[in-house]
Amino acid sequence: MNCDEALEHLYEFLDRELTPELEREVRRHLHACAPCAQEVDFEDTFLKFVQARCRAHGAPPELKRRILRELFGE
Amino acid sequence: MATPTRPADARRESFEREALVHLDVLHRVALRLTGNAADADDLVQETMLKAYRAWDRYEQGTNAKAWLLTILRHAFINEYRRRARRPETVDVETIEPFVVFPAVQEDDPQGAFFDRLVDEQVLRAIDALPEAFRETLVLSDVEGLNYQEIARILEVPVGTVKSRLFRARRLLQARLYDYAVEMGYIQRKAG
Repeated sequence: MNCDEALEHLYEFLDRELTPELEREVRRHLHACAPCAQEVDFEDTFLKFVQARCRAHGAPPELKRRILRELFGE
Repeated sequence: MATPTRPADARRESFEREALVHLDVLHRVALRLTGNAADADDLVQETMLKAYRAWDRYEQGTNAKAWLLTILRHAFINEYRRRARRPETVDVETIEPFVVFPAVQEDDPQGAFFDRLVDEQVLRAIDALPEAFRETLVLSDVEGLNYQEIARILEVPVGTVKSRLFRARRLLQARLYDYAVEMGYIQRKAG
């Protein structure tokens, strides 16, 4: 597998959506190719960052009370 | 003597256990779809009402989160989309965003500039994505659903999920990179 092929599968690799064979091939390429490994790490950092920033807040407690009232009359 | 459980109690108990626990997920997705807190609250409430009414049709123990998100998305499309957002004017499938990594490879290959951005800039950048990208990105990258689950909820092929996710992530990265350059967290690379 060359760099273009590895990077084409970059997100599917990080999302764990590749077949086991393809995943192994990507992994093998990343072991041998520092620039591609660096790019995959960068994308991985980015995805974790997005999740952390967006999951900081839960639903407001008042909304839950409102829904319980509406559903069960309390 | 113990009071026998009435069917209404059992129904309520299973709804609380399997559906209400996903309130945070529904609220986060609703916020990103509608773009404002008041509409998001209404959309979540309506979703829970619809779900409770249809609760007998839900097959218990299957994917309640995906089932609820499907209800939420239909409610959004039918009742909120028209007034919540400006109409989409771009053909989202043809957007080819700028790739950030080569521009930061020398100065910040680990993406440290992301951490300097404030939450509000990140959320604003997500909210500015075209709707088809935004909903795909939120279901995947915020809520951690897999391609198959997202494809079912959005009623599109898995290949479409993949390509939207690719463009959505690149587009979001490019916007965050622009913010970071504006704020002086990183130097724009010439060329």
